[in-house]
Amino acid sequence: MTAEAPPAATRPARPRRSPWGIAALLVFAAITWWAASEEFGIGFDVIQLVTNLTRGSQIMGEFFPPNWDYLPRTYGPMLETFKMAVIASALGCGVALFISFLASRVTTPNPPTYLVSRSVLNVIRALPDLLYALIFVAAVGVGPLPGILALFFFNVGVVVKLLSETIDGVDTGPIEAARATGANRTQTVRWAVVPQVLPNYVAYSLYVFELNIRASAVIGIVGAGGIGNNINTERKFFNYDNLVVILIEIFVFVVIIELISIWLRRRLV
Amino acid sequence: MTAATRSAPARPTRPSTRNRWLATLATLALVVWAMATTGIDFERILRLPEGIGLLFYRMFLETGPEWSFLPNAIEGMLQSIQIAWIGTIIGAVISLPLGLLGARNVSGIFGSNVMRQILNAIRAVPEVILAVVVFIPMVGIGGAASAYAGTLAIGVHSIGTLGKLTAEVVEGIDPGPVEAARAAGGNTLQVQRWGVIPQVMPEIIAFWLYRFEINIRASAILGVVGAGGIGTSLEQAMTFSRFPRAGLIIIVIIVATILVDTASGWLRRRIIEGSTARIEAGDTEGLGSPLRMDSDAG
Repeated sequence: MTAEAPPAATRPARPRRSPWGIAALLVFAAITWWAASEEFGIGFDVIQLVTNLTRGSQIMGEFFPPNWDYLPRTYGPMLETFKMAVIASALGCGVALFISFLASRVTTPNPPTYLVSRSVLNVIRALPDLLYALIFVAAVGVGPLPGILALFFFNVGVVVKLLSETIDGVDTGPIEAARATGANRTQTVRWAVVPQVLPNYVAYSLYVFELNIRASAVIGIVGAGGIGNNINTERKFFNYDNLVVILIEIFVFVVIIELISIWLRRRLV
Repeated sequence: MTAATRSAPARPTRPSTRNRWLATLATLALVVWAMATTGIDFERILRLPEGIGLLFYRMFLETGPEWSFLPNAIEGMLQSIQIAWIGTIIGAVISLPLGLLGARNVSGIFGSNVMRQILNAIRAVPEVILAVVVFIPMVGIGGAASAYAGTLAIGVHSIGTLGKLTAEVVEGIDPGPVEAARAAGGNTLQVQRWGVIPQVMPEIIAFWLYRFEINIRASAILGVVGAGGIGTSLEQAMTFSRFPRAGLIIIVIIVATILVDTASGWLRRRIIEGSTARIEAGDTEGLGSPLRMDSDAG
């Protein structure tokens, strides 16, 4: 045994935990404690939750069996919901197409215009759909009109954000080519930018339409027309067996629209 | 003059635009039909700018927003943020294992399909509907119970959206570490813990933060249907036509939302850029595709 045993390879030192990670964990724990505590927050308590749920299961019993006789009375409102989504998507996406070019640095090199459109967009996006509905119901009264308006603003916010980000990322080659042939700003956008983003635009529009079907079911609760109106009425009278019918109906409808939209998107893009 | 005799190359035929025209026409027809049959009279549309202008005037200009309500509004907004925070945590904790099960490379084609359908089903029902139809009847209304109902509605809905995104991220991982973990004798759980989780965590945490931003908007309005947070005050202000107060509440919602968005967006960028290895590999797709990020913004 002349040969000495080779020294065991030393294990590499473990990388040290980043102080940022530890700080982030602490902040996370602090916020969670604050949010869940009885004193400062919503008093979230898992044990109480379980008791609540067991008590709730008794109420859940009233949901079944669903009252299917109610179903035919929901067809009209459901159709209204569908129409609201169609109109709001068409108008919202149409307007958004033009605003998107103002909100992208590629097509709007003028900083003030760009900054103003971005800020307006941020404010539009900060308000949720139901809040718009609430405002417009107060402004123009109940019915599908405030609903369409609410969805319209919501759609402009979503599409402009998605589309302007897409425009930010287009290939600048065609833009230079168009400019070299003497095209003005509008012509450049029309022939060099629009063809590049059109497939995305169509996809975003379909996506927004899907969101609208779901959202227009919701905004009816505050009086903006469609199937949400029925939800509001039935819940006031504690007709849980009717509510379940509406819930199932919305669910089926949303799934069908989603399937159609996915199929279309695959064909178009 | 040999050049003149050379015939010009034939122009390529224009690609057919028939399908595009058909699609455009069909869409137009649908829109016209919807507009014609919704039964909105023209007169109301004409009165629209006036109505909106008047409401805006009453909310913000006539007497100015009701600033004395500010402490209450901030308190309500904080409760909304707390509801969104706890709801997002519920969604994140439950969606992580479900998302893993929904990934084809973890649970096989059959298992992942079943889980994906379950997640889709959860996702299809909006928070507000969940709150109104399921959770408010279950846990009751008023005080702490309202906040509970809102939190649960947001949590359950987030399970659906986060689970789907998690599954998509997991399906895009590098199979190397998974094989290595398996070769080293790791059991199923250990393979997930050491082969999958470290690869997907930065992106998934970014999704959680993004979901939190969306959930703040959701929780701000849940109060309108009686599920806690600032929406309750807003609904009351609107019902009793206290427009200056409603104006103030709207300002608070906008400012708070933009503040949280900014902070969370900064944090998300840090988390994603922190994982430099993935960015070098060009794998920023999870955040690069805006459509995926915005999945279910409603």
